[in-house]
Amino acid sequence: MLGKIFESIYVKVFVNIVVKRFSTLVYIETDGKKGVQRSAEEEFETLELDEKMHDFITAFTKESPYHYISVLDMSYSQGAVPTCVKKRMPYYTDVEDAEFRCHNNEWAYYTARENLATIKKNYAAIGVDYIFSPFSVLSYFFKDKIDGKLAMYILVQESFLSLAIFENSQLLYAHHLDMMSKDDFDGIHLEDDGNEADPLLAEDGAIDLDEIAIEDEEEAAGELEDFANIEDLDAIEEIDEFSENKDIEEELMESTDTLEEADDTQFNEDYQRFTLIQGSVGEFYKDPRYESRFVENVYVADAVGVTKEFKKYLEEEMFFNVYVRRADLALELCELAKKETGI
Amino acid sequence: MKYSYIKPRTKTPFTQEVQLAVAFFSITIIMLVSTYLFLLYKDYNFQKEKNHILAKQVELKEEIVDMKQKIAFIQKQEALGEKIYTQNNVLKDSIENLFDLVPQRITLSEAKLLKNGLILYGITPNKDVYNFMLQAPLRSIFQETYSSFYPAKNGWLHFVSTNYMKDDFTEEVENED
Repeated sequence: MLGKIFESIYVKVFVNIVVKRFSTLVYIETDGKKGVQRSAEEEFETLELDEKMHDFITAFTKESPYHYISVLDMSYSQGAVPTCVKKRMPYYTDVEDAEFRCHNNEWAYYTARENLATIKKNYAAIGVDYIFSPFSVLSYFFKDKIDGKLAMYILVQESFLSLAIFENSQLLYAHHLDMMSKDDFDGIHLEDDGNEADPLLAEDGAIDLDEIAIEDEEEAAGELEDFANIEDLDAIEEIDEFSENKDIEEELMESTDTLEEADDTQFNEDYQRFTLIQGSVGEFYKDPRYESRFVENVYVADAVGVTKEFKKYLEEEMFFNVYVRRADLALELCELAKKETGI
Repeated sequence: MKYSYIKPRTKTPFTQEVQLAVAFFSITIIMLVSTYLFLLYKDYNFQKEKNHILAKQVELKEEIVDMKQKIAFIQKQEALGEKIYTQNNVLKDSIENLFDLVPQRITLSEAKLLKNGLILYGITPNKDVYNFMLQAPLRSIFQETYSSFYPAKNGWLHFVSTNYMKDDFTEEVENED
């Protein structure tokens, strides 16, 4: 009772930390009785808690004892499984040393305990209150969509892709893809026979961006032909049936102007993302553990600013209806933290 | 619904600064209260001691009054004692004087000292010895002197000499004393 009175007197400070590829974004929001009182955002050129970041955060946290520090789990060894039954979890992933959280008693997301310990250790100076999975961010971001028809949802971050396929709020498949990981990038060759050398990969396993560019130029003409073919396909009645499944509402909401024009670096990254998604979808279709269902709609939560080409690739190469929503991860993290806190 | 892998840390409004302030105020209040209680106790103790002293003062005053009464009584007793002593001395002197008055040839057998008189019983060889040697000095002291004689077996005379002073003369003598 006394605690509630004190809680109502103080403002609540939500500190949200999103670690990017080369920097860390810190978004802080101060909430009072009348809603958001103040917000501040700053990006630090570090991946760990340094003095500047510490000072920036503590300047806000010292205002109120009711401050909540949220961190987005960016680790590689995490994911989601389409069950909440502990006995069934080993069927999808290695459950040893993993921390699971059940979502609506329908599906669960997990991460290695080591990751949680590392995050706690990294932010020991300021403490951590919440560690969120990208999958909970994704499901919360598309909460208006995931209870509908089967669709694929992708959270695009700088270094990661969190991909999930939902139907009526039930997770069918999920994959957390690390763009920096060789394992995941190798996944694009699911359909390869495995013996052929990857033309995009150099001998040391790194991606040869020049090769991609050249290949791109070479394929440009062919792709144009493909476009022609796709347009032809649109004329076919069967393809028209797909168009019935289009999310018109989302399409109207979506503004293609928000999509970035591609420069070389962005294009490379988007291509990499596309190949990762392609590989992952291939796994979904082929892996006997998952119910193979045809994915038509893809909703992208874009936290980095994907290019038009990314959408084009998905639409033209994989015949998806792609809808891109811009997502501010720090803001979404803040919303989750508020929800978790009970605001 | 739980989204986070971990539970938030317990939030308390009692931050280190607040704890410090609360501790400071608590200690101050405790010190003030303890001082107040100490003073209350001391005040109570002083009041108790004061009442005790007042009671003792009253008691002592009563004792002083009592002692003063006793002193007055003792002083009276002393005065009385001195008076008796003086009277006894006077009486002793009177008796000595009396016995000095009695001549060698007269023998006293009994003497009665009265407030304003003297009765003597004795034996004398004859009346003349009595009249000249005893009655004459007695007459000089007492205003009224009566003598009676009766013969003894050996031929001497028993005598009874009754001597009185007049009342106003007695008072005069007492006043002189």
